[in-house]
Amino acid sequence: MSTYVIALFLGVAFGFSLNKAGLTKYHKIVNVFRFTDMAVLKFMMTALVVSMSGLYLLRGLGLVTFPAPPATYIAGNIIGGLIFGFGMALSGYCPGTCAAGSGEGKLDYLIPGLLGFFVGAAIYGLTYQQVFPLISNIANEGNVVIPDLWNLSPLLTVLFFAVMSFFLFYLIDRAGLQRKKEI
Amino acid sequence: MKQIISYIRREEWSPYVAGTLLGVVGILAVWMSNSLLGASGAFENLVGLAGQAIAPSLFDNMYFNYVMPPGITWGVVLLVGLFFGGMLGAATSGTLKWGKKGSANSDDQWKSIFGPQIWKRWLLAFVGAIILEYAAGIAGGCTSGLAISGGMLLAPSAFLFIAGMFASGIVTAYLIYRKRY
Repeated sequence: MSTYVIALFLGVAFGFSLNKAGLTKYHKIVNVFRFTDMAVLKFMMTALVVSMSGLYLLRGLGLVTFPAPPATYIAGNIIGGLIFGFGMALSGYCPGTCAAGSGEGKLDYLIPGLLGFFVGAAIYGLTYQQVFPLISNIANEGNVVIPDLWNLSPLLTVLFFAVMSFFLFYLIDRAGLQRKKEI
Repeated sequence: MKQIISYIRREEWSPYVAGTLLGVVGILAVWMSNSLLGASGAFENLVGLAGQAIAPSLFDNMYFNYVMPPGITWGVVLLVGLFFGGMLGAATSGTLKWGKKGSANSDDQWKSIFGPQIWKRWLLAFVGAIILEYAAGIAGGCTSGLAISGGMLLAPSAFLFIAGMFASGIVTAYLIYRKRY
């Protein structure tokens, strides 16, 4: 029971952050692909830096054990990502932002969106056996994480990612300033 | 205190502040529930539940029996929370759209590109959602379940997925927007 209360609480905080970041808006999502508004990228990278630092720190202190990470099967991860990006640019949402947008009362999220996800889920579940084993067998590395796979220090890997993110934020903001000057 | 409240009531936060909140939520999910955030899997759990009630023989396969067993899972409760979280966020800034005009085609940029017709928006959104859910199945998760949750554990799958997502997203947006890209 208490685990459901936690899930509900975390879900509300998750949806709240999506709303405040503007991800429940079609133009916010599509404009990151047009390089006219990089908020989605900044939001995702910030979440990653914060959560990976916190989790690897907590694990270092022996306070958490990690659940199994999502499996790496190179072809499937990339092909899935490619199809996913197509759907994202078409609809302007992803499964999580569609749920949050529905709560805001946007009917174009609530009806065609949620319905589409249920139809997609049914089609996937019914064709899983014909499709998934084929794709996931190619270059399957299992439930690995980068530090273990390449024998790197977790601390340095997180640090590297954080520095790269900050550098990217800097570049994005600089490019944005330059564009403003041109106009 | 006043400043904090007025910041909460803003319609849009800095992506760094909102991203930090999501990062903390991701940490708490692992710490408190030993679970990963996600959304696409919950749709599978729910459709399995409905499918096995309506057409038991059709949905009696390996996937719905073992890979994604139907039921009200942790992820389904999280999805319900997402719905109310979006509602709460919009309520604090007074931008709730329930019963308001324009809620059926909610984005001005969309309308300026594709026109005001609701059926167009709904058709592309519906097709897009089917594609998204199917792609999430193949990839092993969606933006939250794979990109964020996998990325924060430093799983290579997350970064492969993000690379694919941006590559095709950019191409698709270019094809849709053309001159206005």
